[in-house]
Amino acid sequence: MSPSRYHAAIFGATSAIATETLRSLVATRPASLLLIGRHAGRLETLAADLRSRGAECRVLALDLLDPEIPWHQHLADTTWDLFLIAHGSLPDQETTLTDPHLIGREIDINFISPIRIAAACTPLLEKQGKGTLAIFGSVAGDRGRASNYLYGSTKAGIDAFLSGLRHRLAKHPGVRVVLLKPGMTDTPMTAGMPKGPLFSSAEKVGLLAWHAIQQGKAVAYLPSWWFLIMNLIRHLPRFLLHRTKL
Amino acid sequence: MPAMKRTLASWGRIHPCTADVDSPAWADSIRFDASPALAYGLGRSYGDSCLLDGGHVIETRFLDRILAFDRTTGLLKAEAGISLDQILRFCVPLGWFLPTTPGTRQVTLGGAIANDVHGKNHHRSGCFGNHVGNIDLLRSDHSRHLLRPGEPLHSATIGGLGLTGIITAAELQLVPIRSACLDVELVRFRGLDEFLTISRESSETWEHTVAWIDCLAHGNSLGRGIFIRGNWSEHGGLDPHPAAKLAVPIDFPNFALNRFSIGAFNTLYYRRFPGRTSRIHQHYSPFFHPLDAVHGWSRIYGKRGFYQYQCVTPFEAGAEPMNEILRLIAASGQGSFLAVLKTFGDVASPGMLSFPSPGITLALDFANQGASTLDLFRKLDDVVRSASGRFYPAKDGRMDPADFFRSYPRLDEFRHHLDPGMSSDFWKRMHA
Ligand SMILES: Cc1cc2nc3c(=O)[nH]c(=O)nc-3n(C[C@H](O)[C@H](O)[C@H](O)COP(=O)(O)OP(=O)(O)OC[C@H]3O[C@@H](n4cnc5c(N)ncnc54)[C@H](O)[C@@H]3O)c2cc1C
Ligand SMILES: NC(=O)c1ccc[n+]([C@@H]2O[C@H](COP(=O)([O-])OP(=O)(O)OC[C@H]3O[C@@H](n4cnc5c(N)ncnc54)[C@H](OP(=O)(O)O)[C@@H]3O)[C@@H](O)[C@H]2O)c1
Repeated sequence: MSPSRYHAAIFGATSAIATETLRSLVATRPASLLLIGRHAGRLETLAADLRSRGAECRVLALDLLDPEIPWHQHLADTTWDLFLIAHGSLPDQETTLTDPHLIGREIDINFISPIRIAAACTPLLEKQGKGTLAIFGSVAGDRGRASNYLYGSTKAGIDAFLSGLRHRLAKHPGVRVVLLKPGMTDTPMTAGMPKGPLFSSAEKVGLLAWHAIQQGKAVAYLPSWWFLIMNLIRHLPRFLLHRTKL
Repeated sequence: MPAMKRTLASWGRIHPCTADVDSPAWADSIRFDASPALAYGLGRSYGDSCLLDGGHVIETRFLDRILAFDRTTGLLKAEAGISLDQILRFCVPLGWFLPTTPGTRQVTLGGAIANDVHGKNHHRSGCFGNHVGNIDLLRSDHSRHLLRPGEPLHSATIGGLGLTGIITAAELQLVPIRSACLDVELVRFRGLDEFLTISRESSETWEHTVAWIDCLAHGNSLGRGIFIRGNWSEHGGLDPHPAAKLAVPIDFPNFALNRFSIGAFNTLYYRRFPGRTSRIHQHYSPFFHPLDAVHGWSRIYGKRGFYQYQCVTPFEAGAEPMNEILRLIAASGQGSFLAVLKTFGDVASPGMLSFPSPGITLALDFANQGASTLDLFRKLDDVVRSASGRFYPAKDGRMDPADFFRSYPRLDEFRHHLDPGMSSDFWKRMHA
C-alpha cells in the first residue's frame, strides 16, 4: 500500500535548499504542496518541476514581510503534516551595518517574518495535535563571529524561539518542532564564495533536511559533522577566537 | 546579488579568466550590462570557449528545474542549467534516457546544446542538437525568443558556442529504455585498419560504439586498442546512477590521484580480458561516463593544466592520417592516458558550427608542457589539415584561426545570428 498523501506548506519555497528538500520529499511519497513566496512566476516554475516529479502543487504569492496579509485563510480545511519556513538572506555585512533601514530589513527577513509565521502556525498544530514545524536556522547562529554576526544573531534568535516553542508544545507528543541548521551549502546565497571542502551540495543538505523532518529531530546539523565543528567553535576560548578570521 | 569578480577555469585549467560573475537563481533575474557577456554551464569544456576574461559571465547551474515532462512521448522541457546527471536521475526510473550523451554527465543542457555534443551513438542518432525541440533564448538586448527547429536562429544556437544569446530553457526528446544496463562487447584490435573494419561491421547492429586506443604503443603495436560496442539490454532494472557528492569542483588541488594510479588503471583496462572478445552486462554509468566516478580526476595534470586534442578526418582520407598522428604522438613521448577513437556517421546536425562530420575522430589529453606540447600540436595540425579535417572548439585552447575559418563552411551564415553583446575568449582568439 502506498503511504498516505503528505500535506506541506512551505514559506520561502523557492530557496535552493527548500527546493531540494521538496524534491526529496516528493521522491519518497505522494505529496500535496502549498508553495508560498513572493514571486508568482518563480513559484510556478518550481511547481512545474515538482509536478513533473509527481507532486500536487498550489502556489501562493505574497509579501512574507507584510504582517497585514491574511494568508492564514489559505491554511484552513487541511490537516498539515508540515509547515516549513525557509526564506533567508545573507547580506554583505559591512554595507548593511552602515544603514539602519537595511539592518531592519535583514532582521525582518531572517527573524521577524519567520517568527510571525511560526506563531500563526502554532495554534493550528495545537488544534491538530500532530504535525511538524521546521525552520531553517544556521550554524552561524551557534556563536557570533566577526564575519557574519548580524545574520548569525537572527539565526540564534530563531534557535531560542524554537526551543521555547518546543517546550510549550511538549504536551502534544504528535507535534514536532525542528530546527534545521545547514552548514555552508552551495546555493545562490553563497554563489560568490570560493568553494572549499566544507561545502555541501544543496541536494545533499535538502535530503538530510527531509530525513530530519521525517524523524522529527529537535535540532539537526546538516550534514551532522557540523555539530563537531560548531562544538569546537562554541568552546574556543575567546582570546583564541579573536585571533581567527572566522 | 550583484556580480562578483571571480576567477573561473575551464576543464583544462590552462587559461583561467577573471570576470564579473552572476549566478542567477532564476531566468527572470539574468541581466546584461555594457560589457560583453557569456553563459557558463559546468565548465566541462576543455579550452576557452566557456570563458570571457574581463567580461560578464552568467553561471547557469542554478537554473535546474524541469518545466514539463510527457511520460508517454518522452518530451522533456527544462531550464538550461540542469545537468545531464540530474536529467538521468529523473528519467531513468521512468524508462527514458538521453538521446545521446557525452563522456561525462556533469554538463548542462545549455552547454550540451551550445557545443552540439556527440556520443557513442553518433553513427545512428547524430548529435545532441538532432534531438532538441524548441529553445527559449534570451538576447543581450533583453529580448526573449522562442526558437523552433528549422528556424535559422535555432540552427545557429545549436553548436553556437554560446554566442547567439543565453539559452534559458529547451526541449529534449528522450528515448525509451527497458533497462538501465547495456549488453557490451569488447573486441581487441591491432591497428587502425582493423579498427575501421570492426567499426563498419558494428554500425548496423550496435547502437553505441567507441574505441580506446593505446597511444604509447608504437612499432608493430601502433594503433592497438579495444573496440567497445553496446546495445541497450532488456534486463537489469531501471536504477539510475547514485548522486554525485558535489558537481562543482572545489577550488583547491585534489591529490587523491596521480599519474601512477591512472597508468595502472590503463594497464588493467587493457589486460582486463583474455582472448580477443569479451562480453559484459554493464550499467550505463561505467559504460557512458567512466570518469565521473573519479571525482576531480583532471587535477592529476597538476597546476599547469592540460589540453585535449580532438580532430576529425574524413573517411575519404582513409586510416593513414590517423596512423601518422599516432606515430607522431608515440615518437614525442608525450602520449596521454586517455585516447578515444570513434567514427562519426552521416546523420547531419542542424547546427551551423557543429563539429562532427563523417570520418574518424580522435580525442586525447596532453599535460601542458608548454612549447614542446604546442610544437607537437603544430605537427599534428599539418596532418589534419592535409586530410581536410577539423578541430572541436569545445576541446580547443590553441587552434590556428585559419583552420577554424577553413573547416567550418557555414561560419559566414552563422555570423548573421551572433548576439553583438556576447563574446568568449575562444571567439576573441579566433579573431585576434
Ligand atoms: C570527461 C569529459 C568527457 C567529455 N566527453 C565528450 C564527448 O564524448 N563528446 C562531446 O561532444 N563532448 C565531450 N566533452 C565536452 C563537454 O561535453 C562539452 O564541453 C560541454 O559543452 C560542456 O558543457 P558545460 O555545461 O560544462 O558547458 P561549459 O563548458 O560551461 O560551456 C560550453 C559552451 O556552452 C555555452 N553555454 C553554456 N550554457 C549555455 C546557455 N545556457 N546558453 C547559451 N550558451 C551556453 C558556453 O558559453 C560555452 O560556449 C567531455 C568533457 C569532459 C570533461
Ligand atoms: N546556503 C547556505 O550556505 C546556508 C547555510 C545555513 C543556513 N542557510 C539557510 O537556509 C535557508 C535557505 O537558504 P538557501 O541557501 O537555499 O537560499 P537561496 O537559495 O538563496 O534562497 C533564498 C530564499 O529566501 C527568499 N527571500 C529572500 N529575501 C526575501 C524577502 N525579502 N521576502 C521573501 N522571501 C525572501 C528567496 O525568495 P526569492 O526566490 O523570491 O528570491 C528565496 O526563497 C535560509 O534560511 C538560509 O539562511 C543557508
